[in-house]
Amino acid sequence: MSTNRIALAVAAAAWLAAAHTLAAQGAAPAARKPVTTLTSPVTGNAAAGKKLYYDYACYSCHGFNGETGARPFVPNWPANLANERSFIAFLRGRANVAPVQPSTAMPNYPEESLSDAQARDIYAYIRTFKSTPPPLEKIPVMNQILAAAKRPYKP
Amino acid sequence: MPKSKKLTVNRRGFLKGAATAAAGAAAIASQVPGSGAQAQSPAQGRTNTPAPPPTAAQIERDAGAVRPPAGGHPRAAVRPGSDLMVQVLRDLGIEYVAANPGSSFEGLQESIINYGNPPNVMPEFITALHEESSVTMAHGYGKATGKPMCALLHGTIGIQHAAMSIYQAFYDRTPVLLIAGRDLGFIAAHSANDMAGMVRSYTKWDATPKTLEESLIAIQRAYNEAITPPCGPTLVVIDIELQKEEAGSLQVPAYQPPRIPAIDSAQAREIARSLLGAQNPRIAVGRLRTPEGVRLAVQLAELVGASTSTTATQGPMSFPQRHPLCGPGASTSYDFTLGLEQPGTVALIGPSLTTLLSRDVTNIGFGGIAPGVSRAGRGGAAPGRTIDIDAEASLPVIIEEVRRQMSPDKQRVIQERSAKHAEANQMARIEALTRALEQRRAGWDSSPISTARIYAELWPLIVDEDWILASPSNFSGAHNAQLWDHNKPYSYLGGQGAGGMGYGAPASVGAALAAKSRKQIVINVQTDGDLNYAPGVLWTAQHHRLPMLTVMHNNRAWHQELMFVEYMCGVRGRGTDRGHIGTTLRDPFIDYRMLAAAYGMAGEGPITDPARLGPALKRGIASVKKGLPYLIDVITQPR
Repeated sequence: MSTNRIALAVAAAAWLAAAHTLAAQGAAPAARKPVTTLTSPVTGNAAAGKKLYYDYACYSCHGFNGETGARPFVPNWPANLANERSFIAFLRGRANVAPVQPSTAMPNYPEESLSDAQARDIYAYIRTFKSTPPPLEKIPVMNQILAAAKRPYKP
Repeated sequence: MPKSKKLTVNRRGFLKGAATAAAGAAAIASQVPGSGAQAQSPAQGRTNTPAPPPTAAQIERDAGAVRPPAGGHPRAAVRPGSDLMVQVLRDLGIEYVAANPGSSFEGLQESIINYGNPPNVMPEFITALHEESSVTMAHGYGKATGKPMCALLHGTIGIQHAAMSIYQAFYDRTPVLLIAGRDLGFIAAHSANDMAGMVRSYTKWDATPKTLEESLIAIQRAYNEAITPPCGPTLVVIDIELQKEEAGSLQVPAYQPPRIPAIDSAQAREIARSLLGAQNPRIAVGRLRTPEGVRLAVQLAELVGASTSTTATQGPMSFPQRHPLCGPGASTSYDFTLGLEQPGTVALIGPSLTTLLSRDVTNIGFGGIAPGVSRAGRGGAAPGRTIDIDAEASLPVIIEEVRRQMSPDKQRVIQERSAKHAEANQMARIEALTRALEQRRAGWDSSPISTARIYAELWPLIVDEDWILASPSNFSGAHNAQLWDHNKPYSYLGGQGAGGMGYGAPASVGAALAAKSRKQIVINVQTDGDLNYAPGVLWTAQHHRLPMLTVMHNNRAWHQELMFVEYMCGVRGRGTDRGHIGTTLRDPFIDYRMLAAAYGMAGEGPITDPARLGPALKRGIASVKKGLPYLIDVITQPR
């Protein structure tokens, strides 16, 4: 019962559109405001989590460092990544979200497919991700692009 | 076991003979009376019997025992029929004919490479390594230029190899001229009574002429049908005997271009009156047929001071994206909108001229739908507002009416409005670009390299070049849509047409054929899964020295499918750790620089350090500006 409730709450709060649909349309990831403070102890093993992040192909939607792809989450961390507990609840809760025709593209992970320990390792790895891009003014090609756009139109 | 082995050897020998048919087919064909062969083939088709065993002559040929005839033989034809076919192609302005060789069109091939002064020019024979590549080259060329290129197909097998590409060009409303050779007297399995029937559901028109004169007329008609909206591929099946026969005094028939109906003068008057009478008119421009249509759309927008929308970031032949009038304009309260080849999904306050809906949706006989028509039905246009007429042909009539109704007062208002639109659109552009750049900083220095960085690094290198982005960008983030300016009718050639893979590289080669004679360069941001369908097209690019820069978006997967399978694993709660099976290109990773090198193409990579990307792209652009293709293998983020 409570699992279902968690699942529904997660479904309502999280990634609503199918990633593959967005990606097929070439949609750029929407900018999100940072709404989450990352707290809690991180008990998993990040090195083990790195391998799991690859083996379970988390990178396929979230990029290799969480910043790119169909569903980036760095630096605008969603609430379900706030701590280990919310992350695991998010993974588990999705098992009961409209399983035949789900409204989201995030796979669900019952415990038999990904243990709590494994989930904690993945979470530990995810928490090592940092937003690293330089500011716009420090990227020469981006400034060249802006400068080119300011030139008069030539047919 | 020994018996089985013997059978295998014989079969292989027979097939080998078929595959090497071009070398000596003339000798074989000349030994088979044409009439006898014609009578034999239909009977086989009706009874569905297998192909006959090879003849003694074929076995001799398999063994390499057949040689071209020695001297002393009179010429088969002084003025071969295929010379006239080539003359027809030349008169039509066909620049290129792509094919991998096939004995059923050896007469035509010989004429292309030897007829005329100079020979092998207009059309030039382009050596392809697969029929699917030939047709997709023509598809890419057709989208870049708005006119057909020709592909030659060898009998039943060549048509079947080409079938997916034909289907895709049909979906994409792209004119392509196909000629299939037929040789009823050679290998029965390669011939059929109705060869065009295999692709009739997705070709616009086809013919199997019975005489040389009919063949010439059929090629002209096929060209006209291909370029008449809704455009599409057309096919002429030409018997080898017609290619070889003596033309004698037969003349090439005079060519009559198609008459494409335009809007009538009463409707044009009404549209002109509405455009000039509106306080804030708008023109919604979709995909026109040719660059001339784009020029006319610009002319009309400038005449009436209308802000415009464009589909230039989705495909070719639309309004220049950075034209001062292109954008939302100073006000989005439009009181009249004219649609030009806009699918009915755009709500318009005014009529939409379009041939998008005129294609028979039942034409694809197995449940397909026509381009521009949603699965839900015939689009969402308000009933009665769509005029089923070609916009490009109608523009001159509308422009003439606008000029007739123009007054000095109206001109003054239009000038003021245009200036306001230009200012507002430029401001909107800079704001949107700044936002887009901010978003694309994400992962800028990460490795694997972000797809946004590829497009961002490329743009300053090509902004002052005459370029074509020929590969679909939807799988690599579509960053060009926000970062680049699509100001030419051919800036971006859009998607595959029907979503068929194996498209990017051959379409880019076709675009590069167009680019070569127009001093342009082609950018191909190439997804790895797509390239592996028919990578031999890289050889064609190198062999013909085509200005094509290929930048691998190498995410080592059919990534879309990886996400789909992961999703399905998730739906079923079985974990995603096996989702890579059948969806990824690992173990071993493919080295695309070495692949290119095997085809003789220069390149570098794999590049994983983002700091190395910019210098590599500079070298690549320098190469293609010299007319030499180049490949850069970039290990990328998935999207």
